[in-house]
Amino acid sequence: MPQMPSQAQQVLDALLASPALEAYLVVGAIMFAIGAWGALVRRNAVVIFMCVELMINGVNLTLVAFADFLPNAGGLGASYAVLVIAIAAAEIAVGLAIVLAVFRSRRTVNVDEVTSMRG
Amino acid sequence: METVGQQLIITAIPALPALVFVVLVLFGRLLKENAQYVAILGVTISLVFSVFALLFVAGIVPGGGEPIEFSKPWINLGDGGVFSMGVLIDGLAAVMLVVVCFVSLMIQLYSGAFMEGDKRFAWFYAILNLFTASMLGLVLAPNFIQLYFFWELVGVCSYLLVGHWFEKPSARDAAQKAFLVTRIGDAALFIGIIIFWSTTGSVAFEDISQAAQAGFIGGSVFTAAVVLVFIGAVGKSAQFPLHVWLPDAMEGPTPVSALIHAATMVAAGVYLVARTYDIFVQSPTAMLVVAYIGGFTALMAGTMALVKKDIKRVIAYSTVSQLGYMMLGLGIGSYTAGVFHLYNHAFFKALLFLCAGSIIYAMDSYNMFEMGGLRRRMPITFWAMVLAGLSLSGIFPFAGFWSKDAIVASAYEEHLYVLFAMALLTVFLTAFYIFRAIFVAFTGEPRTEAARNATESPGIMTGPMLILAFLSVVSGWVGIPESFGLPIRDYFAEFVVPSEFATQTLGLEDQAFSFWLGGLSVLVALLGIGVAYALYVQRPERSGALARRFAPVHTFLDNGWYFDALYGATFVRAARWLGRATNGFDRNVLGGLVGGVGRGAMRTGGLLQRLQSGGVQNYALFILAAVLVIGVIVGAQYAVMVVGLIALATIAAFAVGVRL
Repeated sequence: MPQMPSQAQQVLDALLASPALEAYLVVGAIMFAIGAWGALVRRNAVVIFMCVELMINGVNLTLVAFADFLPNAGGLGASYAVLVIAIAAAEIAVGLAIVLAVFRSRRTVNVDEVTSMRG
Repeated sequence: METVGQQLIITAIPALPALVFVVLVLFGRLLKENAQYVAILGVTISLVFSVFALLFVAGIVPGGGEPIEFSKPWINLGDGGVFSMGVLIDGLAAVMLVVVCFVSLMIQLYSGAFMEGDKRFAWFYAILNLFTASMLGLVLAPNFIQLYFFWELVGVCSYLLVGHWFEKPSARDAAQKAFLVTRIGDAALFIGIIIFWSTTGSVAFEDISQAAQAGFIGGSVFTAAVVLVFIGAVGKSAQFPLHVWLPDAMEGPTPVSALIHAATMVAAGVYLVARTYDIFVQSPTAMLVVAYIGGFTALMAGTMALVKKDIKRVIAYSTVSQLGYMMLGLGIGSYTAGVFHLYNHAFFKALLFLCAGSIIYAMDSYNMFEMGGLRRRMPITFWAMVLAGLSLSGIFPFAGFWSKDAIVASAYEEHLYVLFAMALLTVFLTAFYIFRAIFVAFTGEPRTEAARNATESPGIMTGPMLILAFLSVVSGWVGIPESFGLPIRDYFAEFVVPSEFATQTLGLEDQAFSFWLGGLSVLVALLGIGVAYALYVQRPERSGALARRFAPVHTFLDNGWYFDALYGATFVRAARWLGRATNGFDRNVLGGLVGGVGRGAMRTGGLLQRLQSGGVQNYALFILAAVLVIGVIVGAQYAVMVVGLIALATIAAFAVGVRL
C-alpha cells in the first residue's frame, strides 16, 4: 500500500474509522425530529405513516448504536430493535387497513377532514 | 299498689286503646266498618278498669283507699339520673280516667253511625283510640317527661283528626293551625320542664314541689318556670291569647270535636294545672296569672259566641269560655270547684256536640239560620240539647250549676270582685248564646227545605246522647255542698282534694254554700235565657235590627275580636317574611355557591372541549409536548432536554402555524 501524505491519511482514517457514538445519536435524533415534524404537519395519512416509520427508525438507530457501544448490555439494544421492527410492521398493517377503510367511506385520506371525534 | 295483677290492670287502661290503634292500623282495611266493634270493646274494658281504679282509690274496693303509685325506669341518663314511666292515680286522676273512658266510649258508639260510609272509617277509629290512649297516659303520668310525651301524642292525634277530611283545604289549614298554635304552648311547657329539671334535678311533680318548698328553686326563676308551664296549658286548653285554634278545629268530624272538647286535648291543659297544683300554689304571681287569664278568656270567648251563625262554632267558643272558668277556679284556689267543673263540663259539652252532630247528620249544614223548627222533627235531639244547655247555663239543679256556682261564689268570697264580675257576666252570656242557638235551630218555622225534611238520627246516635243527657243532669249531684242542707254527702269534695300543703299555702277556709250567690247566678242565667227568648222566639226581627244598629260591634265579635287578623298581620306575616328570607338565602347564597361550582366546572369543560378537535395530529402534538415536559421535570439538569423542548416548541409552532 503506497505511503500517503499524512494529512490525507488522517482524513482517510477519519473516514474509514467507525464513527463516534454521538454521530449515530445525532443522526437518530434528526431522523426522529423530521419524522415528528412530518407526522404533525402533513395532511396525507399515508405520508403521516411514513413519517411515523421514520421516527421509529430513528429510535431503532439509537438502540442499535447503544448496543454496539455498550458491550456490557449484551446486545440487548439490538434485540429490542428487532422487537420494535416487528411491532412497526404490525402497526403499519393495522394502520394502513384503517386508512384504507377511511378512504373507502370518505373518499379522502386527508386527516383534517376526518374529525368526527371533535368534542 | 301491691300485686302485679293490679299493676297490669292499671297499665291496661291506656294500653288497651293503644293496642286497638295498632290492630286497626294493621287490619283496618280488612275490618272496614267492623273496626268500631274492636274499638268499642277495647275502650269498654278500659272503662271497667278505670272504674276499678276509681273504686280502689276511693277505698270501696278492699285494700284500697290510698293513691296508686308505681313506676319503672324508662330512660337511663347515667349520672344525670333516670326518667321513669309510671302511674300516679289519686282522686283527680281517677275521676279523669273514668270521664275520658266514658266520654270516649259514648263518642265511639255515636261515631259508628255518624261516620258510616267514610273512606277512612277504620283509620278514624284507630286515631280516636290513640287519642284516648294518649290522654289516659297523660292522666296517669307522675312526672313531667311522661306527661310531655303523651301531651305531644295528644297534639298529633288532634292534628290528624281535625284534618280527617284533608281533601278540604279548610280542614287542612285548621289542622295545621291547631298544631302550630298549640306548639307555641308546648315549647313553653318544655322550657318550663327544663328549668325545673336543671334546678331541682327531678321531673317528678312531687319532687319538684318538695324541692321548691326546700328552697332549691325560688324567686323569679321559679315564677317564670311555673308561668311557662301554664303557657303550655294555655295552648292546649285554648285560653287567651292562644285560643284561636279551637274554633277552627270545628273543621274536623263532629264526634272528634266532642272528644277534643270534652275529654281529651283541651282538658289536658286544665288537668296539667290541677296535677301540678302543689307547684302552682307556691307562686302567688302564677296563680294570679292563671286566674286572670281564665276570667278574661271566659268573658272574651262568651262575647265571641254571641253572634256566630255556625252552631258548632258557638259551642266551640263556649268550650273556650268554660275552660276559662276552670282556670279561674284553679287560679283563685278553689281547686275542687275547678276540677268539678272539668268533670261536669265533659258530659254536657260532649252532649252539645253530639246534638250538633245529630242536626248536621240530619240536614248537612252547620248554619243554624238554615235550620229552624227542628223541635218537632228531632224531639230527642231537641230535649237532649235543652238539658245540656240548661246544664251549661248553670240552672239549678242541673250538673253545671253546682260547679259553676262554686267557682263564681269563691271568686266573690275571695274578694276578687273584678273576676267575680267577669264570671257573672259570662254566666249571662253563656245562657244567652246557647239558648240563642237552641231557639234558632229548633223553634219557629223551618227556614230551608233540608230543615223541613230532617228526621231524627238513628238509635245508635241518640242512645249515647240520652245517656249523656241523663249525666248532664245528675253528674253534679255527687258534689252538692253539705251546707246546702240535703242529706247527701259531698263525695266529690271528699275525693278530689288539694294536698294539705296546697290548702295550707293558700290559707283558704271552707266556705258555706251561699244561697244568695247561687240564687243570683241562676237569676242571671235565667235572664240570659229570657233575653234569648225575647230576641229569637218572640220577635226574631228584633235581633236582626239590633245587629244592624250595632254593626261595628257585631262585626268585631263575629271576627273573634280580630285576633286572627292581628296574628295574621304580625306573627304569620313575620313568619312568612322569615320564610321568604331564608328561602332567598338558600336560593341565592347557598344555591348560588353550589350552582357556581357546577357552572365553573362546566365552563372549564367548555374551554377544554376545544382542545378535543378530533384531529389525530393535535393529539400527537399533545403527547409529544407532554413527554417533553415530563422529561424536563424529571431530568431538568440535562440541558439536552431543554434543547429538545425548544426544538419541539419550534416544531409545534410550525405545526400550529401551518394548520392555521
